[in-house]
Amino acid sequence: MDFGLDQDQQLIVETVRRFAERDLRTWAGDADRAGAPPDRLAHTATELGFFVDAVPADAGGLRDGTYSHVTRALRGFELGRGCAALAALLECSVEPALAVGAWGSAAAKAALFGSLANGGRATLFHDSRGALTLDGDRLTGKLGPTPGLATASHVLVATGELLALIPTKDLRVTPITPSGWRAAQWATIALEAHRIPDDMILRNGSVADVLAWARTSLAARACGVAVAAMEHAQAYAADRVQFGQPIGTFESLIRLRDDALTTASAAKLLALHAAWQLDTKHAQAHDTASRARVIAGDAVTRATIDAVQIFGGYGFVNDYPVEKLMRDARAFEALHGDERLGRVLSQKVA
Amino acid sequence: MDIFHDSPLFSGVRQMVNAFAKSAIRPIAIEHDRSETMPWALMKQASMMGMSQSSLIEGRKKLTGVDEDPDPKKPKSQARIAVAGAEELSWGCAGICLAIGGSGLAASPVARMGTDEQKQEFKKLLTGDDEHGHIKVAAMALSEPGTGSDISGLKTTARKDGSHWVIRGSKQWITNGKSASVYVVWAQTDAAAGRAGVRGFIVARGTPGLVPGKKETKLGIRASETAQVHFEDVRVHEAMMLGVAGESSGGLADTKKMLDSTRPVVAAQAVGIARAAYEFLLERVRGGSLHGTPMASHQHIMFELSEMLMEITASRMLAHRAAWMADHHLDNVAEASMAKAHAARTAQQVTTRAMVLLGEEALEPGHPVEKWYRDAKIYDIFEGTGQIQRRIIAKTLAGQNPT
Repeated sequence: MDFGLDQDQQLIVETVRRFAERDLRTWAGDADRAGAPPDRLAHTATELGFFVDAVPADAGGLRDGTYSHVTRALRGFELGRGCAALAALLECSVEPALAVGAWGSAAAKAALFGSLANGGRATLFHDSRGALTLDGDRLTGKLGPTPGLATASHVLVATGELLALIPTKDLRVTPITPSGWRAAQWATIALEAHRIPDDMILRNGSVADVLAWARTSLAARACGVAVAAMEHAQAYAADRVQFGQPIGTFESLIRLRDDALTTASAAKLLALHAAWQLDTKHAQAHDTASRARVIAGDAVTRATIDAVQIFGGYGFVNDYPVEKLMRDARAFEALHGDERLGRVLSQKVA
Repeated sequence: MDIFHDSPLFSGVRQMVNAFAKSAIRPIAIEHDRSETMPWALMKQASMMGMSQSSLIEGRKKLTGVDEDPDPKKPKSQARIAVAGAEELSWGCAGICLAIGGSGLAASPVARMGTDEQKQEFKKLLTGDDEHGHIKVAAMALSEPGTGSDISGLKTTARKDGSHWVIRGSKQWITNGKSASVYVVWAQTDAAAGRAGVRGFIVARGTPGLVPGKKETKLGIRASETAQVHFEDVRVHEAMMLGVAGESSGGLADTKKMLDSTRPVVAAQAVGIARAAYEFLLERVRGGSLHGTPMASHQHIMFELSEMLMEITASRMLAHRAAWMADHHLDNVAEASMAKAHAARTAQQVTTRAMVLLGEEALEPGHPVEKWYRDAKIYDIFEGTGQIQRRIIAKTLAGQNPT
């Protein structure tokens, strides 16, 4: 068993960490207040290889050979430490690109990869609430709220056993700004008997695979947010003096921070384990990805709420970073539905 | 204890305030959260119904039509009325509840320690409308940038100059800090005396040197205004100092006792938020289905709701016990802290779990459960953080003076 990183992974982690600490953290507050990413994000992220990292090299992307979910999880953790909303925008094209690459028709590949290689974006919508109905080749119902959808050229829809790539060009996209991940360019789309062309359906595609990729990535990013919350809290608690001592030296606050970091560390390892199982096509990969999301959801919820607690009154106001993190935490547990409920229902049959 | 068989008085208050919360508060709550504005028209309406800032001074008559027994040894009902009403208002919207009742924070020390002249002056400053045509509000200015949990380290000073005190310092997280027509500001009059030297002063808006500062953008309770207030050599007549200089009464210890009396009310507000989220979920579950079966047939969901109801009920009973003790003139310092700490935790847990169970739905902008999630957090922070409540309880366990 080897927990070490290879040279490529080490380089990627260091690069993304620098980007997250230097740029994403700096942009996070303003992007949150504006409800939009900074213009510089696309340029800088493109230079770093985001958006097309899962697009095959022969289709204008950077993927040469197999895709590494371990590398993606390592990167996702660092992005989460930077900003959850901007991280979502950098990661949300991956599922459509991987799914279309694996199961898409030539037409689907041409459409999606052509768009992504030319600065376009894509995102995933998983119909966890059964909001969509399929009648023949017609899809009806509400799609979203989904991050990245407001600016995506294509959305990969996963509903029941169906995986389909839908261009958004002629659809009525309603941009929304939720309370968390405010800069993540969310939207909803109302579909009314929308026809899915046959060549946009990903035959033999696995919804479970796609969800496992998404859950693993979400879990890794959630851990990044959790750790960031406690980094901010630790710095604040070292300076803030009450009752004659830095509040970070009070046992009760040490315990809050320590418990949060313990949970986040465990969650990060489980996310990496799920990613490794995905890379090695392990039979348990889907289950581990789901478990990783459960514990990562717990970790990010706990860490962000407790970080606000450690900041006290300053934690509740927008001038300090942790108020945003507490809002951002929610999407990690909300997207794709209640993970625990899904697990209970899936095991009930046995 | 009345909580086991709600008396007509308390259930009447509960029903009346709930009807107001349902018809007047709920419909505007999301908009005031979004726009971060005070619901001025509603505040005026609430005041006309007896939920006014000066009701603490006037006693319960305005709200219930019944006077307290003037005999100081007889049990009162004020604390329990406040607790019953606060839960309902906060069930409507915690931010609006605080907008309606925020002035009470300032009224409380005046009612407790003020002379007749001070009470009259305070009421006079709150009579009529302000320059915007808004109902007048008051602000309690205690916390400072460096003084959150540890209020014994106040940096704001009051220096005697003839028949006046000259106040200098900055206050932080002040409810109604920008809009108040009258402030009760706490300042150190005698550094050598430490906590015993801290006194409250009634200061009218417009007094030279009183400068309302930046209004905060907050995670929750956004219909309640929170701002900094600066006192730049503000001259206040000595008659407007609460308590007596050089004597122990009227100092910080009395202020802390005052917080003991507000903690059950704050706990009840947290209960109101938790109940709102729980009821939202319950209604959804009753009408909803999940993969073809009724939601109510799923243990995963129903046990979650059961857990919420247990915690909400326990929190409410802790708040009522602390209020009952206050009404019966019993020392409730630890009980008030237990109520507040428990209710704050309950509100956070219930709102968080409700959001998880609702999934993506709760991410929609303006979703009430998401708002309640944000509103709940302040209850573990203001009026003494969860850590301060446990510190108080721990001190009583160790046989120490909790204040």
